[in-house]
Amino acid sequence: MRLSDLFKFSLGALGGARTRTWLMLLAMSIGVSSVLLLTAVGEGTRHYVNNQFMDLGSHLLIVMPGKLETTGGQPPILSATEVDITIDDAIAISRSPSIRRVAPMVLGSAPASWNQRERTVNVIGSTADLYDVRKLTMASGRFLPTGDPTRGAPVAVIGDTLKAELFGNTAALGERIRIDGQKFQIIGVLEDAGGAGVGMDLRDAAVIPVATAQNLFDSPSLFRVMVEADGHSAISRAERAIIDIMRMRHNGEEDVTVITQNAMLATFDNILGSLTLAVGGIAAISLAVAGVLIMNVMLVAVAQRKTEIGLLKAIGSPGRQILQLFLAEASMLALLGALVGLIIGFAGVYGLAKALPDFPIGIPYWAPLAAAGTSLGTSVIFCFLPARRAAKLDPVLALAGH
Amino acid sequence: MIRFSKVSRQFEVGEERVLALREIDMEIHDGEYAAIMGPSGSGKSTMLNILGLLDRADSGQYHLDDQDTTTLSETKRAALRRRQFGFVFQSFHLVPRMTAAQNVELPLNLDGVSPRERRDRVGAALDSMGLADRANHKPSQLSGGQRQRVAIARATIMKPSVLLADEPTGNLDSKSSKEVIQALETLNLAGITLVVITHDPSIGDRANRKIVMQDGKIDQDITLN
Repeated sequence: MRLSDLFKFSLGALGGARTRTWLMLLAMSIGVSSVLLLTAVGEGTRHYVNNQFMDLGSHLLIVMPGKLETTGGQPPILSATEVDITIDDAIAISRSPSIRRVAPMVLGSAPASWNQRERTVNVIGSTADLYDVRKLTMASGRFLPTGDPTRGAPVAVIGDTLKAELFGNTAALGERIRIDGQKFQIIGVLEDAGGAGVGMDLRDAAVIPVATAQNLFDSPSLFRVMVEADGHSAISRAERAIIDIMRMRHNGEEDVTVITQNAMLATFDNILGSLTLAVGGIAAISLAVAGVLIMNVMLVAVAQRKTEIGLLKAIGSPGRQILQLFLAEASMLALLGALVGLIIGFAGVYGLAKALPDFPIGIPYWAPLAAAGTSLGTSVIFCFLPARRAAKLDPVLALAGH
Repeated sequence: MIRFSKVSRQFEVGEERVLALREIDMEIHDGEYAAIMGPSGSGKSTMLNILGLLDRADSGQYHLDDQDTTTLSETKRAALRRRQFGFVFQSFHLVPRMTAAQNVELPLNLDGVSPRERRDRVGAALDSMGLADRANHKPSQLSGGQRQRVAIARATIMKPSVLLADEPTGNLDSKSSKEVIQALETLNLAGITLVVITHDPSIGDRANRKIVMQDGKIDQDITLN
């Protein structure tokens, strides 16, 4: 039998049982489109998190007080006392040649008020270097002044949300606001930083000099130190230098944790990559379910078309050919279903992308192939049993419809 | 040339064992026109199924053109069915979703004959059955007689040497019956071996040879000249 005739015969058979065909196409296309949609959402999440980290700056290291690393062996009998990181530590770190900038950070929350309006905001104490480390931009005014970080002036830079909430349309530059009762002069307003920064929203925050913040919150310790390495190649040297400097300054105790952005990124990338595979796999289960449905419906089809199979046998079609006819029918069904599913899936992702312009949704290149392949594979595998049953029918009984 | 030697076939119906054919010895020569008659359950359908290689004998030998068919594999038997036999059934067995032309074309299609040759042969076959204007009709749009003539066209499209008809007029009125029998007889005159199963004496009497069966045995075997 010619291949084109095989296709025509299968198409004819599918067209001859419309309801059955539509139902199976529906099942297949739901499976395929859900694989596409779910993997697209998974990939989108991965890109989204990647972008968030990229916003932090690309050569970034974060120094946090305390040793977070877990090690094997016996649990420590004496827990190491947590030693604070101070401004002097940050200054010492900044002297390393593999480090370009250091932004010490103090974090607290306090009420900010102006003209009877009050709002509880994040107060971040830092230095002028935070501007470059976090890649900020100004809407108006300027950022914190450079100079000795151990001295702080009563000045503040506010985020755009805070500006809008306290001042509305009034100009804020030069005005004095109260933060926790102390007066601060506003010297700059930040541009909308977007969702920039994991866990730190600068839009609704006031940035003040680090020494001022330490006075305000009455604490000499830093929340963390953001360090920008001197280029991408310097990241591991910078990490080493920070640990060495801190150990030297803290009596040989390694009591800080240094997180490189690459390490965080790689971890999240791994987690989210496997998440995408997992949701894709769950969606693939629906394809397997569709496969079982196809087997079921094909078994019914073989029963319904017994006399036709008997006829094919009578006119000399060998069992192998009958097997081929039914498998071809299942493959056509799978391919058509996959095609419809791909169209629905791509349309759905396009719709989602339109609805959520900030979310970088996108179908990974392997998803359409995997979905179409799985649908074809399950169809052929699950159709094998009914097709073989058809091929093995006794011609006399089949002709009689038994 | 068809030769049965001691062909037996039995079925199990529930607990019972039914001997459908009991050691049949018989020969049918090329170009013969034979009618197999007998009451239902006499074994005539079983005989036709074994003749057409749709069924196997339990014992005995069936030689087709000096080839012993009893030992052939299913694939070889299918190939023999395709080349040597044409089947005409009481209930036509046309594929309902296909047109008359597609039904006739089906055996050529399965055999991988080129589309151009298929078109010519199908056209000629339908023409010879007087159905040229019905080529694109579905079976449901045809009368019983027309359907059976489509089935005959299909049965002969592979140029078989033997045409086996199982009650070909069983579902037809007398006018259509006559047309169908005449079509079959025309083919016989052209050289094809024709074996017809029937319980209708008026049909059976037209054949040159009448084989009457009873309880799985040949009761009478009359050849007229």
